[in-house]
Amino acid sequence: MMRKLLYFHKKNVLTLFLVLVFILSLFSVNWGPELLHAGGLNALQEMVAALFHPDLSPYILQLALIASVRTLAYAVTGMSIAVLIALIFGVLASGLLSSGRWNRLLSMSGFRGLLGFMRAIHELVWAWLFVVAFGLTPYAAIFAIAIHYGGILGRIFADMLNDVPPEPIQALKASGASRFQLLLYGYFPAAAADILSYVMYRFECAIRSSAIMSFVGLGGLGYQIHLSLTDLKYDQVWTFLLFLIALVVLVDLWSQFLRKRMVA
Amino acid sequence: MEPKEILTLKEITKSYGEMRALSPLSLRIKQGESVALIGPSGAGKTTLLNIFASVIQADAGEFEISGKPAHRYTSAKQLARKVGMIRQQFDLVRPLPVIHNVLAGRLGEWGFFKSLVSFIFPQEKDVAARALERVGLADKIYEKTANLSGGEQQRVALARLLVQHPEIILADEPVSSLDPARAEDVLAMLVNLANEENQTLVASLHSVELAKKYFTRLIALREGTVYFDLPVEEVTDESLSELYDLVEMKDNDAKAAVFS
Repeated sequence: MMRKLLYFHKKNVLTLFLVLVFILSLFSVNWGPELLHAGGLNALQEMVAALFHPDLSPYILQLALIASVRTLAYAVTGMSIAVLIALIFGVLASGLLSSGRWNRLLSMSGFRGLLGFMRAIHELVWAWLFVVAFGLTPYAAIFAIAIHYGGILGRIFADMLNDVPPEPIQALKASGASRFQLLLYGYFPAAAADILSYVMYRFECAIRSSAIMSFVGLGGLGYQIHLSLTDLKYDQVWTFLLFLIALVVLVDLWSQFLRKRMVA
Repeated sequence: MEPKEILTLKEITKSYGEMRALSPLSLRIKQGESVALIGPSGAGKTTLLNIFASVIQADAGEFEISGKPAHRYTSAKQLARKVGMIRQQFDLVRPLPVIHNVLAGRLGEWGFFKSLVSFIFPQEKDVAARALERVGLADKIYEKTANLSGGEQQRVALARLLVQHPEIILADEPVSSLDPARAEDVLAMLVNLANEENQTLVASLHSVELAKKYFTRLIALREGTVYFDLPVEEVTDESLSELYDLVEMKDNDAKAAVFS
């Protein structure tokens, strides 16, 4: 009886526990004047003020535009390779092409493991590794995105292919379709809308990622933000950030447009 | 000449765990026959059709297609020439245009390369167009399948069967998701097309009226075995009411109904 009651209230008990932990954690903060370092509040005020006066001089605008194009280029190239990797590895990780239980298990666990390895390492870390290997070239950024995002997309593609409703597939099989034909006429068309919308979402992430990655020194929006920040030029920082926001919003609009067309 | 026997079942059994779906069941169906499977839910109609389609294997007993054991039809292509199946409307790939769903009936004959090319430039377009014309959907050839109504989708599935052109057509509740008028349209079309090509038709149906109107032989299943197997003119109202009489059914059937 007691156990049943506990089971019934397990969510509430957990919630209560977490709230207590949070309250306790407040005591470990040092609520002194040192919480913000000297001048920190000032800097914060300056940053907020700069938001309303971004630096819109032609030179900075030109710089921001070039950096945006570069950021976008890394993201597009990286994602293109990522989609290619993901399609191939995703199909193999879904086990749809392998015959027999053991082959299937081997293909699924092998490629799912590989995809897991690819995405377990953050794209920034991949970028560092590639900078060491290639030097400061665009390839470092592109491969970092391609590998990490390939790992994410491949895994999701595999799941989406496995979740396709079975009836149409059965029907295709009954009309004599081979495994490759099933993939082409059954699985891919059925999963296409989901795959597309997920790729678009990840493309948006890749743009952000590509911006951040250029902190390493690869050029692009992140690099410019980094430089302006070291110079304490908050008005320039905001100009670059606004360009980044614009990029992401544009991609979002594009993906909405594409999805509407897919669904109609 | 006496038509050849095309589907032969001898003492077939099939269980799902504890549940007996088919207790020993024997049947012979000749080429060109139109057979309706009727009976209460859980009587084993779908299981029987799935065995005919080689989607599932029987636990015991013999099953022959055209006098050859079914397991000896090893390739999907061989089997697709013999047996085709139509179910409720959700067995089409809905995001694809109609033409691809129709031409899917040819996939067994096509190699991978041809089907790849056809995905972009549809091959054998005239075959698809002719089939769609016969089911009255010639103008929908490039439409997205999901945008068609339920009855139209079922006619697309018919067109696919026409293109596949198997000797035996299996239909599992082909019209159960349609309104009564559409249901008659589609069923009449299915029976006519099968008769024109001298194809053998085996369909499971909810509606006894439709079965009596369009089929020549009625096989009633109950509790996984043949309850009666009669030419349509010999089926009496008494035998039908007994078939569906729930009061007489054993407890087992109530459980069986869950699995239908």
